[in-house]
Amino acid sequence: MIGVLKSMATTLKHALDGSTFTVEYPDVAPEVSPRFRGVHKFSQERCIWCRQCENVCPNDTIQIVQDDQRNGEQYNLHIGQCIYCRLCEEVCPVDAILLTQNFEFTGDTKDDLVYNKEQLKNVPWYKDIDPLESREPDRGAWIGEGEGELDYQ
Amino acid sequence: MFAPLQAEPTLLPETIGRFLFGSEMAIWQEMIAAFLAAFVVANVMLAQAGVAGPWAKRKITAAFTDRIAVNRHGPAGLLIIPAAAVQLMAKELIIPDGVDRPAYDLAPILLAFSALIGFAVIPMGSIFGINLQIADPESGVAYVFAAASIATLALTMAGYASNNKYSLMGGLRAIAQNIAYEIPLIVTGASVIIFTGTLQTSEIVAQQAEPLVTIAGVSIPSWFAFVNPFAFVLFMVANLAEVGRNPFDIPEAPTEIVAGYMTEYSSIYFVLFYMGEFIHIFLGGAIVTTLFLGGPSGPVLPGFVWFVIKIWAIFLFTQWARSAVPRVRIDQLIEIGWKGMLVLSFANLILTAVIVGVML
Amino acid sequence: MSLQERQPVGVTEDGLDYDALADLLGDRVIGREHHLNAEGFVVRPTDVEETLELLRDEAGFDHLSCLTAQEYEDRYESIYHLTKYDDRTQELSVVVPADPEDPVSESAAGVYETANWHEREAYDLVGVDYDDHPDLRRILLPETWQGHPLANDYHQDRPQLVPFQEHKNPLEDDHHDAESDTMFLNIGPHHPATHGVLHLKTTLDGEQVADVDPDIGYLHRCEEQMAQQGTYRHQIMPYPDRWDYASAGLLNEWAYARVAEDLNDIEVPEYAQVIRTMGAELCRIAAHMLAVGTFALDIYGDFTAIFMYAMRDREKVQNILEDLTGQRMMFNYFRLGGVVWDLPEPREEFFEQTRDFLDDLPETLEEYHDLITNNEIFQKRVIDTGVLDPEDAKSYGCTGPVARASGIDYDLRRDDPYGYYDELDWDVITENGGDNYSRFLVRMQEVEQSARIIEQCVDLLEDWPEDERTIQSNVPRTLKPEPDTETYRAVEGAKGELGIYVRSDGTDKPGRFKIRSPCFSNLSALESMSEGEYVPDLVATLGSLDVILGEVDR
Repeated sequence: MIGVLKSMATTLKHALDGSTFTVEYPDVAPEVSPRFRGVHKFSQERCIWCRQCENVCPNDTIQIVQDDQRNGEQYNLHIGQCIYCRLCEEVCPVDAILLTQNFEFTGDTKDDLVYNKEQLKNVPWYKDIDPLESREPDRGAWIGEGEGELDYQ
Repeated sequence: MFAPLQAEPTLLPETIGRFLFGSEMAIWQEMIAAFLAAFVVANVMLAQAGVAGPWAKRKITAAFTDRIAVNRHGPAGLLIIPAAAVQLMAKELIIPDGVDRPAYDLAPILLAFSALIGFAVIPMGSIFGINLQIADPESGVAYVFAAASIATLALTMAGYASNNKYSLMGGLRAIAQNIAYEIPLIVTGASVIIFTGTLQTSEIVAQQAEPLVTIAGVSIPSWFAFVNPFAFVLFMVANLAEVGRNPFDIPEAPTEIVAGYMTEYSSIYFVLFYMGEFIHIFLGGAIVTTLFLGGPSGPVLPGFVWFVIKIWAIFLFTQWARSAVPRVRIDQLIEIGWKGMLVLSFANLILTAVIVGVML
Repeated sequence: MSLQERQPVGVTEDGLDYDALADLLGDRVIGREHHLNAEGFVVRPTDVEETLELLRDEAGFDHLSCLTAQEYEDRYESIYHLTKYDDRTQELSVVVPADPEDPVSESAAGVYETANWHEREAYDLVGVDYDDHPDLRRILLPETWQGHPLANDYHQDRPQLVPFQEHKNPLEDDHHDAESDTMFLNIGPHHPATHGVLHLKTTLDGEQVADVDPDIGYLHRCEEQMAQQGTYRHQIMPYPDRWDYASAGLLNEWAYARVAEDLNDIEVPEYAQVIRTMGAELCRIAAHMLAVGTFALDIYGDFTAIFMYAMRDREKVQNILEDLTGQRMMFNYFRLGGVVWDLPEPREEFFEQTRDFLDDLPETLEEYHDLITNNEIFQKRVIDTGVLDPEDAKSYGCTGPVARASGIDYDLRRDDPYGYYDELDWDVITENGGDNYSRFLVRMQEVEQSARIIEQCVDLLEDWPEDERTIQSNVPRTLKPEPDTETYRAVEGAKGELGIYVRSDGTDKPGRFKIRSPCFSNLSALESMSEGEYVPDLVATLGSLDVILGEVDR
């Protein structure tokens, strides 16, 4: 009987202290770690069309179309299929693709979730955080050219 | 014209009858008045169940589990109540193949009905000078126990008629549980009757009004919960089983038999079950209030308000138990019922009888 | 058993003497193979049962860790990975080739219970026919499936057209058998207590379980085949997170990291090992919190307090892991030869956050004990229910908390050390009850032990000299291990021994990638644990096994 009463006292204590751990999303933006991996952002200026990201992607999420001069024409990324492993960012020699902290995206159909390069360029930063800074601070040095401004796009 | 306040409070049908038809009433006028009175009381209880189900239960559970729960619709999320009502009623009523109609259709109605009719004899106190009790027969307590037990029949019907094995198991568990716990419940209730010497609910309440002891100017009324706390505890435990709440929620037992007897019910039938269960909890609370907590008596506030506070307190207790006490297994439940509760309740009855016989 | 009294054959001062074992088996051994983890004895497909029985009884190989089946150009092959509960480092592979035209091989189910399910899986996916198997049905794929997906001649594109009639109606059998007074009940695949999509075909006698037959495979995602199509260096690592997806990600990643590092001879810097150890133990805490919470959920019903409290505390671990790895569940943090990032900057903040969590943990656990462990009704429900005695546990190949709760002192972190575990001070928790309560207690105490490990790791990391913080060793971009190198390596996952067998075929992708899932073996013991019990105890037992269907079905 003591144990049962102790259990009940424990829950009552929680009921009375009034603290909650619910995050009232979307009224409150949840805390996201600087390293969090969300939707991709793409920089056409940086991209050298080496196709390493396409190669390393474990489940063919990235599709690159080039013309016969090997100039890039399309850069498509199926965000609904992506597993956010960040291997594309890791292999990219010029940091042309980055996983932002942005995790908010919707689509009515699967096709809506196939982002072309324009859409990928326009993915917003989450709270203006450049994730690379926290992931690999050494590399951040040359990303931040232009007085710390985010020079993507 | 309002009838003047009397020492013997007027029952609700009479109040309504006098207001509509004057003091001399034909039999049909009395029937209309009685029907209206029942309508009022039923709606009061349904409204409470409506608050309890979609809103209060969630808020209470959330408080125990450090969450916020419904807060998006209206102030404190209260508008979830109409929202839930519309949503549930707009859902498709799915009737599976091979159900045994009309038992399948009658079960939810019977459950809600059985819980509601119990309130006929409960003294709910008065508000604005109107006494909210419908009837006050001499066999009041016997009637209310009888009415509450009809719920078992509803659960069994639902379990049997649904053509589903989980439902059947739920129905069978409900019978086993109710038989095992109804007897201790009534026997413990009987120990109160020995004190009062009457089954009439208003009389039981009246006898609890006298002060038991006065400590430092505060007089404690002779509620039977104070007179015989042992019986009160027994009754509360048996009552948890009677209304099928943790640790005795085994007819429903979501993690074991899906939803027990409710498995195959959807839409409005589900609402009836759901509301019926809450009204049943309130009826259990009302019985406890009447027998042990002095009914609607209390200082300052009107009687009805006290009554509502008391039944909600008991509702809160069931939710509290739910948050912290695990469900017992069916065989353990039966064991506790027959080997524990029954013995204890008879011991309590005999002890009470001896004390009453010797002392009074 | 008799082997307790005598010294098992083949055990010498410095490990296993394979020649002595070969002598024991005599001419049953028709060839020897060398695997990286152990010697392999090639055995005729008709001698399997005798061989394994001898090895179990005379040489003490009481643990059939895994069974790998695969098809070569010229033969089918089943590899029985044997080891011992007493000494995990003593390993032996029994290799059984089978005819390519008619791949029949004798079943080992008579020797080890666990072979039952493992052979069913091998039959299902590869197509080896096990002779004398008690119940050789498909296990992961539907019974109507055409072909064996991991066999060489499998047509991936062939549509699986199965006429409706061929789908067996699960209700068929129970329609009124006048003789029988039992009831057939489908628990699942959609049921509140099956922790995912698991289907238990249950036969009930009243409310008591007369027979239970778990039907798995609803969550089969071809993880083995996906790994076979990924490159060693990068593409496989994201997937282990998705086997046991209940936050045990880093533990799973370690299984792959260990086997791939072994295969390619990659050194891991010590600093990275410490980070790995810390991350893995954080994952273990998160996984055990979930296990405790859902187990309580099964017993309490509804999402009541304890489940939410466990979730809340797990959330704290996940926040730490998110800061460390960048993701809450699907970490992809390990790399071959190390980890992908150093601790997040500022390091002090990270240490403080971790320390805060560890400081609060004893109080939290105290609360759990108040809330559940000491609750008499809870004890009444779980003590002496779902009993698994040690002999059965060994035979079913149970590992992890399930085995340790049956008194089997077996933990790969200590018995087959990897990472930084052997440098740290911690205990292996065992309980002797073998019941649901013991399994619960083991998990609760393991959380404490994990906290101890993390604390030591944090201390180490804090004092690590700044110029020695190497997080990755130098690993070539493309890894092509020698062809036909075979190895089987296991780590202690959240649920038990998570092993991986890899055979290289000379390319940069594995030729065969076999996952030994601890949940798979643990779940197979459910039948013996729950027979004769009430339905509520069956549910509680299932909860206490803590199976994650993503790992069972892969």
